[in-house]
Amino acid sequence: MSASTTANASSFSPRSALLPVLLPAAAVLAALVVGMIVVVAMGVTLDKAVMAFYRGAFGNAYAISASLNRAVALALVGVGFVIANRAGLTNVGGEGQIAIGGIVATAFCLMPGMADLPLGLSYLLPLLAASLAGGLWGGIAGMLRVRAGTNEVIATLLLSFIAVWLLYWCVQSENLLRQPMTSAATLPESLAIPEATQVPLLTGSYSSPVTLGLPILLGIAIIAAILLRRSLYGFALSAVGLNPIAAARAGVAVGFTIISAMCLAGALGGLAGGLMLQGEQYSLKAGFSSGYGFDGLVVGLLARGSVTGVIAGALLFGFLRSGGISMEMAAGVPSALIDVLQGLIVLTIASAAYYLERRIAR
Amino acid sequence: MTAELFTLFLASTVRLAVPLLFAATGELVSERAGVVNMSVEGMMLTGAFGGAMGAAYTGSPMLGLCCAILAVLPIAVLQSVMTNTLRANQIVTGIGINIMALGVTTLGYRALFGARSRDIIPGFDAWSPPLLGQIPLVGGVFQQVWLFYLAAAIIAVVGYVLERTGLGIVLRAAGDNPQSVIRSGAPLKGVRHAAVIFTGVMSALGGAFLSIGDIHTFTEGMTNGAGYLAIVAVIFGSWRLWRTVAACLLFGAATALQFQLPAFGIHIPNALLIMMPYLLALLAVAGVVGHQTAPRALTQN
Repeated sequence: MSASTTANASSFSPRSALLPVLLPAAAVLAALVVGMIVVVAMGVTLDKAVMAFYRGAFGNAYAISASLNRAVALALVGVGFVIANRAGLTNVGGEGQIAIGGIVATAFCLMPGMADLPLGLSYLLPLLAASLAGGLWGGIAGMLRVRAGTNEVIATLLLSFIAVWLLYWCVQSENLLRQPMTSAATLPESLAIPEATQVPLLTGSYSSPVTLGLPILLGIAIIAAILLRRSLYGFALSAVGLNPIAAARAGVAVGFTIISAMCLAGALGGLAGGLMLQGEQYSLKAGFSSGYGFDGLVVGLLARGSVTGVIAGALLFGFLRSGGISMEMAAGVPSALIDVLQGLIVLTIASAAYYLERRIAR
Repeated sequence: MTAELFTLFLASTVRLAVPLLFAATGELVSERAGVVNMSVEGMMLTGAFGGAMGAAYTGSPMLGLCCAILAVLPIAVLQSVMTNTLRANQIVTGIGINIMALGVTTLGYRALFGARSRDIIPGFDAWSPPLLGQIPLVGGVFQQVWLFYLAAAIIAVVGYVLERTGLGIVLRAAGDNPQSVIRSGAPLKGVRHAAVIFTGVMSALGGAFLSIGDIHTFTEGMTNGAGYLAIVAVIFGSWRLWRTVAACLLFGAATALQFQLPAFGIHIPNALLIMMPYLLALLAVAGVVGHQTAPRALTQN
């Protein structure tokens, strides 16, 4: 996978610089047209569906905030994907890294005394723990790759399933995180986390619940962009991604680079999980990470190595999902339509990628 | 454990393994040729959907089975053209197809079947072979839908072709050393296209077994990870047919145990049993359980 080279190579001619932007835009437009055709075919009037979509995605402060929070989680996974991808690694384990982050964040938030910590430590510490746990989880795949030669795609996929069932076990077992069964009505989920451990809302009001996650993401995105473009570490990543053997000859610590890249990717996934728990859901449930990991992977992939691209893609998918959910509720168009559109976008861009790269390389 | 419960356990192990046996055998062939079909999940789901719709509209499960295969073929061709001709990333393509298949089958089911969603769909019934079925203790195990016997037959043929024929040699070389296939003049792309389409047909059969063979209904997203489990079986089976088959049976047993253990008063958390296949596979690829030999050109276009 050499998507990493395009960002640098594309600056040579204006025509090739535009292509990586035009192609995703065209794919998205085409997918939206298909979506409208499906809506009409299902017997729903177009303006009703579009209105419902618009209201769910941009209709009011709450809708916009929910979409933004969703986009933050997707972007974190996406940035992680791009970092690992620069080293030639494909992290398909976002789902599991989110789950691990969610589990650890819950455990920390519910820890006695955590809510009493001063200076925002009450919510920062669980977030940090979630990131570290996600980093370790991602690091396992990196370690296996270096030590046992295990393909990281296979390892991260397996780790994802293990983490998802680990989460399921945590919310099913009273010895772990399940809330005490005092009445027959208690659901298999954790206790709600204390308010002091919730990630603060920027506006301070639940009617526009954009969390501190947004500035955190922006900070991380800037650091990641600098790391990838300007730092020695970013150079090592690219070197390993382009040719690990040559990189090793040139004195790059290939093993360390691979493991640390997977750790970083995992840590961002874990942070996304922590933010989802502490900024949105407030208690751990079985379906906690459903789909965010795969959506984030797709976002990272469509960005073709660029952090700005990740943010654009995350916003697109964040708003698409919110609009889709509203379309299902208000216009009766199943939100599965969004899956179809997302799949179409992925397939279009994936199938053009090889030819696009070759054209730019010329 | 009483004899009756033991028989029941064996029978449900086999029954739960059948969809995996189909899909994993298909996936194995394709991976030996160098292509990972992450889209097995989507192909199985489409097969389950096609089978259910076909059986419901024609009233014949046999025609349903044909519909399952017909429904999956375009997806298999799409996967194959994208990865083998357009050289798109195999993993990404697979995940894209899975997302789309989930969307399309859900939409299609609601549009075509929404009002009748509680109906039972015509399906295949289990059948007991004349002599095998009479054997004490294990006879009940053979009380299966005929698709199980089809799976067994296909596995035997695949084993023979892979190990004993020229086609098998070319196929394995396509996954291990594609350059040598090109140099020998054999059609590398052709072999890979055929392998991916074979995976599609096998996944369709596995998916159809779920809907019209086993529970006689379709539910949204009903494969629920079975396709990924089939890929895991191939990995755990170290890309060898017999080990992959054994892995499928093992995974079937783990699933069967979920339902059986509570009957014995043993309470192992469900999640741990479901997690077991993935954990075992992880240990396997980590080199803890024996040595793994993936085809060398796997996922490379």
